[in-house]
Amino acid sequence: MSLLDSAGAAVELAKGMGAEQVKAWISTGVEVELQQRQGKLERVHESSTLGLSVSLMVDGRYSSHGTSDLRPAALKAFLQRAVDGTRYLEQDLDRTMLSFEEMGSLDPASLDNDDAESINKRGPEERQLAIKELEDAILSGAGEDLVSATSYLWEVRSQSAAVFSNGFQATQARTHYGQGGMVTLKEPSGKLPESYSFFNASHFEDVPSVAEVSSDLWTKADEVRNTSQGSSGKYTMILDRRVASRILGAMISPMSGGNLHTGRSMYLDKLGQTLGSKAFTLIDDPTIPRGMGSKPFDGDGRKAKIRPLFTEGRLDTYLLDLYHARKLKMEPTTGGTSNVIMQPGQRSWKEIAKEHGRAIRVTSFLGGNSNPASGAFSLGIRGQLIENGEVVQNLSEMNVSGNLLELMASFEEAANDPWLFASYRVPTLAFTGVQFSGS
Amino acid sequence: MHPTELDPAASGHFEQFGIVPEVLDQVMRAALSLGATDCDLFFEHKVSTAVALSDSKVNRASTDVDLGLGVRARVGDQIGYAYTEDLSLPAMLRAARTAAAIARSTPGLAPVALSPIHLPSRYEIETSWSDVGMDKRVPLVRAWEERAFSLDSRIEKVQTSLADAEKWILVVRPDGRMAEDYQPMTRAHVVCTAIDGDVRESNSYNLASRAGLEFYSDAERIERMVQKAVERTVFLLDAGKPVAGDMPVVLAAGASGILLHEAIGHGLEADFNRKGVSIYAARMGKKVAPDFVTVVDDGTIPGARGALNVDDEGNVPERTVLIENGVLRSYMHDEISAAHYKVAPTGSGRRESFRHHPLPRMRATYMDPGPHDPAEIIANTKRGIFATSFSNGAVQIGAGDFTFYMKTGFLIEDGKLTRPIKDVNIIGNGPAALEQVDMVGTDLMIDEGGWTCGKDGQGVPVSQGQPTVRVKSLTVGGE
Repeated sequence: MSLLDSAGAAVELAKGMGAEQVKAWISTGVEVELQQRQGKLERVHESSTLGLSVSLMVDGRYSSHGTSDLRPAALKAFLQRAVDGTRYLEQDLDRTMLSFEEMGSLDPASLDNDDAESINKRGPEERQLAIKELEDAILSGAGEDLVSATSYLWEVRSQSAAVFSNGFQATQARTHYGQGGMVTLKEPSGKLPESYSFFNASHFEDVPSVAEVSSDLWTKADEVRNTSQGSSGKYTMILDRRVASRILGAMISPMSGGNLHTGRSMYLDKLGQTLGSKAFTLIDDPTIPRGMGSKPFDGDGRKAKIRPLFTEGRLDTYLLDLYHARKLKMEPTTGGTSNVIMQPGQRSWKEIAKEHGRAIRVTSFLGGNSNPASGAFSLGIRGQLIENGEVVQNLSEMNVSGNLLELMASFEEAANDPWLFASYRVPTLAFTGVQFSGS
Repeated sequence: MHPTELDPAASGHFEQFGIVPEVLDQVMRAALSLGATDCDLFFEHKVSTAVALSDSKVNRASTDVDLGLGVRARVGDQIGYAYTEDLSLPAMLRAARTAAAIARSTPGLAPVALSPIHLPSRYEIETSWSDVGMDKRVPLVRAWEERAFSLDSRIEKVQTSLADAEKWILVVRPDGRMAEDYQPMTRAHVVCTAIDGDVRESNSYNLASRAGLEFYSDAERIERMVQKAVERTVFLLDAGKPVAGDMPVVLAAGASGILLHEAIGHGLEADFNRKGVSIYAARMGKKVAPDFVTVVDDGTIPGARGALNVDDEGNVPERTVLIENGVLRSYMHDEISAAHYKVAPTGSGRRESFRHHPLPRMRATYMDPGPHDPAEIIANTKRGIFATSFSNGAVQIGAGDFTFYMKTGFLIEDGKLTRPIKDVNIIGNGPAALEQVDMVGTDLMIDEGGWTCGKDGQGVPVSQGQPTVRVKSLTVGGE
């Protein structure tokens, strides 16, 4: 039975039990992960998976359910309990699904994010050779301060089918290939700083070579050696492209319908207002071929489309799924982001930093949190003190704090180095006058 | 009540899925077929239910069923792992043979006849969640909402939820060990949004326990949950931020155990130490804290979120003293690390689900009471902060740097609590922070909230606690 047929059968089963609206998703996947350390395989993990999710409307009442027990009798009993339990809830007609005519999907092939052929390209022996090559490449760059080096390799393919009771049907499949490494180094102080580098791509051929991974890993290792705490004060923040998603994600989260509906959003009543600097422009683009966040349709079954989030600092949209749009009495947009993009600038981050005298380049975050209602944020960081564009000190045990709205307004420039191995495809970003705390 | 000791004649909960001794023997033999030196089969059946209220309507519910088998084959510290959600014999044998491929020799180990091990009973319940219908859950979340609104007119919105889970696990080992455990869990959550003029804030409080429905019949407990959710929310309306920089930090008793969890706990998980990548790797037997500091990781606290009758490798968890009177005494071990250090496992081998291999993990981590009067600790602090609630934390195992996020607290000025403060991250270095603990209160409290610990992509439920503690200097992320 195909995935579509299986999802369709679940829809019919639930309808037969009294559900008036049903959405069913069947997903399946295969995954292989290898981990190698000190010349031997430390872990091999290989599995295939299968699961069903359904959401139901029963007498105008809503519930959602998932199961990995797909034996026919168990599935039938599971759905019956789900339908019966839903009747105890209160009606919420805002959960009513869109009509068939309002739904749609991009052609999944246009997204080119399913490299199915490569999933079986390498057998166990070839994968073990590949991770050995990766480990050799990493070890070739090691110095006497190496304590431990671990290499990682993974291949994942997932497929899913969605069938809704209004006739909507869609499938999607995607693959992830990747490799990377983590090293622990020894310092005279007794500290054992760690550094890591991972690359993830939807196509096997887009994963950087073992030499590139090793080179990147050791470049990053230089950033964590002999760190110390810098002085408290206000600095220009050079936010590394790989970790910029932590800040941008905190800025985007309060745009969600869930946060707006519950009053936990710094963007309440600010739609269309200019909040960020002129340089602050972000878009969400689910259509990028091979993009890590690309998708043909959203959770409500609407065809995915490009959407501006901020244009020259102006808040262009809220991220409203159908349910929360109805609660807020607004037009739905989409429930979340896909590929978040900021266009790269013309200059390297070093050229930008040179103009700012003293700056802190944030290379990783450690813990911390933000308050979506007020915009307050406070995050632990590791990074580098930059003076006139040159690294003068590696930093640790520091916090960066402030307000996300003020930070957005202080955004100055994007560098020319977009990171393309994640769903946040953004370059290194420069913000001015940011509060850091240390010694 | 649910049995925690198997009758050898019965196959227990998993018999309904065809899991009988003959099948277990076949699957173990397949896992050992290529020369693995050990293996484990981990069966899991978990049924979760949640019901939620928003906009004064109980209008959302969910259920999840997770069923499957994880097979781990070991050759020393090397592991092959595979899982299946299909408990048919061919699928289980396929998973076992996949895991077995970590080894490349001839079989040397054969499973012996299975025998149930005796388990303690650390989470006895009166009303099992499978006997509780939606009609029993709905009035609970509605009552919590009504009470929250009644407590403060500034409360604008309230969301409440009740989640529960019943998990059955079966761990089988080739040395004949067989352990089946029934592991209940429940969690209640109240989230409030308050508004005062232009200021709008949101905060929450939650309770969690390995308990049944009767957990919610304690009126005092429920009142405390709702009151704290409201108090913590309206507190934020008037709170500001402290000045940034290094300063003394006094941690209120209870959830401040997050300091131990991040600054010490992860670094004492033995896998990091056997690989030499933890900052505590060479400190066993050494003085790492003042005499009045004793830190424990404990799987035995009845009903605690971190309590376990058996860990996910088939070992009975113990009360593990990690630091005794300031001296590092023990790591938390799974079987791989225990073999490496030639010690007994501490019952700390845990995993998120059958889809994951076990790792040394914390259970309930706390500091024993110390000699100081909590009021005296505040009074003896000239200038600093008093941190009262927390949301999350993180640590770098090797460097030892850790953080925790303080949601609410107070400034301490001249030995008195003054201005309310909020939303600051606090950062320090584990060994240095331990050395700088200079006062420990008499008021140990295990936090009642639903903490989840993340490691290597796996989340497991944990508990944490601490008396009032002062650390002489930590870096506070303020203005």
